[in-house]
Amino acid sequence: MVFLVVNQENSAPPGINFAHLCSLKWYFWMSHNPNAKQECAAGIEHIDGLYAYAIVLTQNRTDAEDLVQETYLRAIRAMGRLRDDSNVKGWLFTILRNIWLNEVRQRRKGPEILDVEANERTVNLVDEGAQNPHDLYVGKLERRHVRAAIQQLPEEAREVILLREFEELSYREIATVLDCPVGTVMSRLARARSKLRDLLSSLLQKSSPGMTETEAIE
Amino acid sequence: MSGCDDYRSMVPLFLDDELSGNDAEDFRKHIASCTDCRQLLAEEQELSQLLHRTRPLYQASEALRARVSRILFSEVHSGVRAPERLRRRILRILVSPLRGFAEPTLRWKQVTAVALVTIMAFLFIPQMLQRVRANAFVETAAATHRSYLEGNLPMEIQTSSPAVVTAWFAGKVPFHFQLPESQQAASGQQAYRLVGSRLVSFKGTYAALTTYNMKDQKISLLVVSDKSAGAEGGEEVKSGGLTFHDHTVGDFKVITWSNHGLTYALVSSLPGSARQSCLVCHQNMADHLGFSQHP
Repeated sequence: MVFLVVNQENSAPPGINFAHLCSLKWYFWMSHNPNAKQECAAGIEHIDGLYAYAIVLTQNRTDAEDLVQETYLRAIRAMGRLRDDSNVKGWLFTILRNIWLNEVRQRRKGPEILDVEANERTVNLVDEGAQNPHDLYVGKLERRHVRAAIQQLPEEAREVILLREFEELSYREIATVLDCPVGTVMSRLARARSKLRDLLSSLLQKSSPGMTETEAIE
Repeated sequence: MSGCDDYRSMVPLFLDDELSGNDAEDFRKHIASCTDCRQLLAEEQELSQLLHRTRPLYQASEALRARVSRILFSEVHSGVRAPERLRRRILRILVSPLRGFAEPTLRWKQVTAVALVTIMAFLFIPQMLQRVRANAFVETAAATHRSYLEGNLPMEIQTSSPAVVTAWFAGKVPFHFQLPESQQAASGQQAYRLVGSRLVSFKGTYAALTTYNMKDQKISLLVVSDKSAGAEGGEEVKSGGLTFHDHTVGDFKVITWSNHGLTYALVSSLPGSARQSCLVCHQNMADHLGFSQHP
């Protein structure tokens, strides 16, 4: 068996990324660690970001989960084409968006059956995760307002805000994901921020009204 | 650069770390001396800080993490990587003797052995790929059924009408799929009841998943084009000119067969042999004598 060239190692890797998936060592770890499946589930790289992007696109929790699942499935099957210096995070977001665009095209051909249900689920999304300790820490009311405001934006504004403000992709990386020029990213971002500022004006007026020069630049 | 308008347009670039070198330094100097631009920067920064405080905007549920984890595992274990393993094995066999090619000790027998291994590998690769695809389909059908039982795969359409399901799949899957009417037992009652359907992914394309209830059992039927996967392996049962392949995956019985360009996988937890599994639905039907065990 050719896989026995690697060292036996049962300790969990720090997180499951696609470099691990490409390595024999990771395969061996998966095969020989009885707790691998649970540890893998806890450390799947970029899953929260992809899920948030999927929610922003679909506005539907079930669709978003399916989209994330499909993204990882396609990614693992295509990882052989991934170069060592590839931007894995941007690549995953691009895959997710492409699947979604195909899905939208297919749905346009088929019967429209989900509109009302989607709206109902969108409302429910606002409360999602409210019992998470992390939510309590950062202020669940604040997050609830931000989520609701973002969901009111047009799709192209929602996705550019998520990719920049939450996933911290550079303009160039966002342009690659959205398959558009960097200038378009900048203009979409400016419009999205302007609208968000209006939608969140009540929150913004409450928080830190008088910033000093140093605070502003830091 | 001189006017405030130019610097105002640089505010988002500065906040997004898209300004560097002299531009960033120039911007900082201007901000230090211009109250209006400083105010604008503060406003933009306030919005960004508010958004950053709410990170992550959404968190994947434990159920989703488990689903993705299962996919990663099943992909690694299902044999999808088999061609890669084969390639590595061939390389291992080939590279080792060829390293010594320049050495005078290399004998012609070694070269012949390498050539034979290579030829044999290429002869068997198509068959192996076919087997790998068939196995992957069985694994996918079992994993899909498990997700369905755990409530992670809600049906996109819920109906007891095969005609409605057939219409729903039209144009959604890359093959023509017509769901037959549920067969009736001799008593006139339906042997199983259609629950609903949804799309699932398989090998970069869509498969049709349909679920049924039969007494206290939940059964799922996964259908793909036979170009994506064939039916192979397992215990064979012949009936009506078709060959059914019975596999056991964990607690599930997976029966696969191909017919008219489609490959089917029927997944259930029914106990017993393949023939017995088939007869659960067909025992009171006209075709029940057609199920014979392949030796």
